[in-house]
Amino acid sequence: MSVNSSWKSNLPLYIGALILSIIFFYPLYVLILITFVPAPLNNLSPYPPQIPPGFTFYNIIQAYSSLNLTGPVTRSFYVAMMVGGLSLALGIPAAYGLNKIGVRTANKFIIFFFLINMMPGIVVAIPISVEFLKLGLSNIYGVALAQELVVLPLSIFIILGGFRALPSDLENQARVDGANLPTTMYRILIPMNRSAILVAFLLSWMTSWDEFTYAVIISPVKSTFPVQLYNYVTRAVSFEASAFALTFTIPVIIVAVVLQKYLKSQSFTGGLSS
Amino acid sequence: MYYIKFHFLQTFNRIKDYDGTMPKSHNLKYIAFIIPALVYVSALSIFPAALSVYRSFLSPGGSYTFSNYSALLHYGLVKALIDTMLVSIGALILQLFLALFIAMIMVKPFKGNRLFSSLVIIPYGISTVVSAFIFSQIFSAVGGYANSFIVDLGFRPIDWVATSSSSLSVVVIADYWKNTPLVALILFSGLSGLSPSMYEAAKTDGAGAFRRFFSITLPNLAPIMAIALLIRGVSEFNIFALPLVIIGYNPPLITTLIYEFYQTSSATIYYSYAASTILLFIILGYASIVLWKGGAKTYER
Repeated sequence: MSVNSSWKSNLPLYIGALILSIIFFYPLYVLILITFVPAPLNNLSPYPPQIPPGFTFYNIIQAYSSLNLTGPVTRSFYVAMMVGGLSLALGIPAAYGLNKIGVRTANKFIIFFFLINMMPGIVVAIPISVEFLKLGLSNIYGVALAQELVVLPLSIFIILGGFRALPSDLENQARVDGANLPTTMYRILIPMNRSAILVAFLLSWMTSWDEFTYAVIISPVKSTFPVQLYNYVTRAVSFEASAFALTFTIPVIIVAVVLQKYLKSQSFTGGLSS
Repeated sequence: MYYIKFHFLQTFNRIKDYDGTMPKSHNLKYIAFIIPALVYVSALSIFPAALSVYRSFLSPGGSYTFSNYSALLHYGLVKALIDTMLVSIGALILQLFLALFIAMIMVKPFKGNRLFSSLVIIPYGISTVVSAFIFSQIFSAVGGYANSFIVDLGFRPIDWVATSSSSLSVVVIADYWKNTPLVALILFSGLSGLSPSMYEAAKTDGAGAFRRFFSITLPNLAPIMAIALLIRGVSEFNIFALPLVIIGYNPPLITTLIYEFYQTSSATIYYSYAASTILLFIILGYASIVLWKGGAKTYER
């Protein structure tokens, strides 16, 4: 790709890119403003200025000292880990099986899984919540079990793509050498397929970290970070909430930018792209 | 998520021509590996959905009734459905429009392209509740950044949540931020597949930039745009966290209506079962149209 040297012919392009960049960066800018500008000059004034009139760490300090942050963040972390782990525990065997039964049959199963994924979250969440209450699962374990529903189809599909890219002789050779199926799985198939498995885990993790519908319906109290943030927003402690929001948005942005590299990779093409 | 689903639909064509090499007799054994996932998914989705449909015909006392549905009409189901439809259509149009611009800039080689692409992709990583919070701050009636901008320009401030139509527009605007990047990525992958020689040929024949856009870019991009629209459409209709945080229950969308009934009491939960059933059948109808259309296209080739 050669960069067009004539600056003038690219001018409309630059103007367009600039306008779009502003449109997409502005909400993030507002979040930064609310976090770092002293509240009296900001939220509490009727028309807050667009250019920061002052700078303070007070909001962040206030948020960390007055709001209970460790609880929701730890719970979110546990839930995300459980969801990621379940994705692998259910997804790896399912993907292995799907890789073996022939593509035509496998596709029917995959379509079924994705159809299930289209089921509206709120429709499924309310009956689940009623049943989980009877089972004593109206807590973060219930949330993790329900969130798994959202990520499992995608995880299976990604891991399946990885398995399809592996030569089938690999497994046959291990079996000829006397390894049984669990050993082959543990020693050969999983290590060889680790990038797809990692992507499936990270995507599940991120989806769970972000998930709100199941979390708020199944466990409205003592719940995950998005539900806690929602509670703070409805209680109108906005500048503390914004400090809260900003500090936990930065790591997620980093993960998303890292994942973006993988999103273009082959792992999502079912292993048959080339 | 949707980007990957799109990839799935794309590769579906290629996959269907390829068949496994395992003999048929082995198949049954391997289905055992899939059963745990199948059971899990069915137990946590098909079973609850069926439960929802069944209970929508029950009264709190346990007898069969249609009164849940007739009560819903009284509580503004029709308006909630229309509003949901308006939000979905508005959001889809806005997202497609912006995404098309972004994708067209992303395919051009210019200095700063990488910076632009990363900047535009950032909202994808931001939690829905966080972005809802940001937009509730931008569009709050007092102390909102949108109003301070309007006042700076010399106009009168707007009470964004005063009327139903302005509340819905705020939801549509908030939704663009989180979801446009995904649509842009989908369109980008479509655009980068178009051959530059087509444009060269059109240029030599004297076609201007607009002509090239309408005669080459749009028709070639149409199938991918259709896929993006269909996939986004389902989740647009299920939009829940954004309206709940930004506008609360007023005006209700179908999802916030369901949630409000669920929250209110153990008797009104039967109304939310009924509204859930309606939403479920709308989505199932939509999904089967998507699959039927998509399936027809797959086998034409």
